[in-house]
Amino acid sequence: MTLTQAEADAFGAELDALRNEVLADLGERDAAHIRRVVRLSRGSAIAGRSLLMFGFDPLSWTLGVGALTIAKILENMEIGHNVMHGQYDWMNDPTLDSQTYEWDIVCDSGSWRHYHNYEHHTFTNIVGRDRDVGYGLLRISPEQYWHPKHLVQPISNVMLSALFQWGVGLHGLDLTRALRGKTSRARLRRESRAFVRKAARQLAKDYVFFPLLALGNAPRVFVGNLTANLIRNVWTNVIIFCGHFPEGARVYTREETRNESRGAWYLRQLQGSANIDGGPLFHVMTGHLSHQIEHHLFPDLPAHRYAEIAPRVRAICGKYGLPYNTGSFWRQYGSVLKKLFVYALPERTAAPAAA
Amino acid sequence: MQTATSFWTTPWLHPLNDVAAIDDLLAQLHPTWSLGRIKARVMRVVVETPDTKTFVLEPNRNWRGFRAGQHVGVEVEIAGVRYQRRYSLSSAPSAAPVIAITVKHQPGGKVSAWMHDHLHVGSALTLEPAAGSFTLPSPLPARILMLSAGSGITPVMSMLRALIASAAPLDVDFVHVVRRPENAVFAPELAHLAATVSGLRVHHYYSASGGRLDVPALTRLVPDCDECAVLLCGPTSFMTAFRPHFAGRLSEESFGAPIVAPDAASATAVEILCTRSERAFTASGDTPLLIAAERAGLRPRYGCRMGICHTCSCVKRSGTVENVLTRKLSSEPNERIQLCVSHARTDCTLDL
Repeated sequence: MTLTQAEADAFGAELDALRNEVLADLGERDAAHIRRVVRLSRGSAIAGRSLLMFGFDPLSWTLGVGALTIAKILENMEIGHNVMHGQYDWMNDPTLDSQTYEWDIVCDSGSWRHYHNYEHHTFTNIVGRDRDVGYGLLRISPEQYWHPKHLVQPISNVMLSALFQWGVGLHGLDLTRALRGKTSRARLRRESRAFVRKAARQLAKDYVFFPLLALGNAPRVFVGNLTANLIRNVWTNVIIFCGHFPEGARVYTREETRNESRGAWYLRQLQGSANIDGGPLFHVMTGHLSHQIEHHLFPDLPAHRYAEIAPRVRAICGKYGLPYNTGSFWRQYGSVLKKLFVYALPERTAAPAAA
Repeated sequence: MQTATSFWTTPWLHPLNDVAAIDDLLAQLHPTWSLGRIKARVMRVVVETPDTKTFVLEPNRNWRGFRAGQHVGVEVEIAGVRYQRRYSLSSAPSAAPVIAITVKHQPGGKVSAWMHDHLHVGSALTLEPAAGSFTLPSPLPARILMLSAGSGITPVMSMLRALIASAAPLDVDFVHVVRRPENAVFAPELAHLAATVSGLRVHHYYSASGGRLDVPALTRLVPDCDECAVLLCGPTSFMTAFRPHFAGRLSEESFGAPIVAPDAASATAVEILCTRSERAFTASGDTPLLIAAERAGLRPRYGCRMGICHTCSCVKRSGTVENVLTRKLSSEPNERIQLCVSHARTDCTLDL
């Protein structure tokens, strides 16, 4: 689906107008929302860690893991990810400052700000420029070159999802590039030091510090924290994969995007992203990444606004005859899994044109 | 102290030492409880004139006191946005445990309007420590002329109150310029002090009837003003009128946006690279970097926008900027600069 230059400009102007409308309306309500989520996440973490530390029965363990998982998911997705996008910088609140926020995950926030906010959100879905296309591990579109490692990608995907925070953390180091010798030694040292320091802190917190605080309950806390991190990993992985990989989300080549206008940039963000249908609770638990389309059009608008403006974004898309990719969780994730199987194999190059 | 601080704030203890979280909880329990921040409760609101109010505040134990003439940072949140302003303290340090700020409702002023409308007895306010070098000279000069205009009276009033409280012998002329008698803050108290404190002479000068106060007019009010040590505070134009005359015997503080004469050489456009946001913008040499950055869609933090509070302070990685208040050039790499009063003189890289 492409637009003429004039259509793309008009499309971009309508989205710009929508964005400015929301920016002009930012205030109390947005501040109250993010602070409520922050308190919810903190409260949930305190409840979860206390249940793990002081309980002794399986029920309190399960509740504790659940509460800690919710705390981590909220902190990573609705707070950390969104705050670091600068969604709340207008508040001038140093605890919600995009440049200094540090999140509860092994990925160092400085490296995340660079490769996510800058690389991924600027060069979204451009094969070769946006490393989030398959994360250097998976082949999710025919435009990516096939490699024998892709044969096992249904399995590597399961492993990636279980260890997702490590994938997110290591992604910043860009090891494939480093292995090809294209990263300067100084840069590699600097970035790996930041990663190692952050990872050590996270490991110490969940697997040494809190278990030790629990004294005799140490094993219970250790396993509880491990489980909470695991569930958080799988959940974030699944939600994020539904953002750009479902059927209908397309990728771009560098040539296509040369000298791209603002309207064309918007168009690429729209066509490269996919939403998941759901209720308000579901949206918060995904950090509103279930509104991936709105997030990619407007990455620095407070995320809880996405659901409100979604009908209008959809109407604008309809006006220009553009598809708006949304569907149930199972439909979107199902199509991701299907792609993982289909593109595990190379294309039959000599396939005859459709008869 | 240094090691203690770093121990308690080390990320290895996180989240048990999450000060923001603990402060948030404390604030829910009691509006002025905080681990490290200065929170104050409004004890009294005095309507000084139709557009000026004095807020008498009782700060919590994190307040470290002040010297007469200094200003205090006030942080308020309006529609979800935090704003910082600095106001001169108008009370004397001896009034502890309470302090007072006197705030004029500026036309179009967001924060002063909010304070006038929303601060009542019992409200809580967040403060930053007192700062400022406009204080009583030490040792005290024998003859003092306190010369203020408009809101500039507040720090001078604090100094006068401090002088009187110190019970030292006084020889002070207090000259205050306002448009009309009804605009004169502290007028009843000043009249009372003039009548009861020996060695204090209070002169009000009304510019609506008398025209702008200048050196000859001042000499008519205080014939020996040339022998006084002068404490001067007022708007920029007022300061400019007296600064040359009293050069060498002057302590001063001005408020209001700095006026910059743009000259052809400094008005050239330069390229500013921002390392954190990975953005670039063009700034002309006669625009403060803060404004140029905002025009480019960046949103640097700021407070006073006139070079006092350092909220917009940012590390300059390379390039040369001129501080238009001090006329100092900063060319060293990795110097902190104040965006609101710095004009770029060469291409720069900022940690923004």
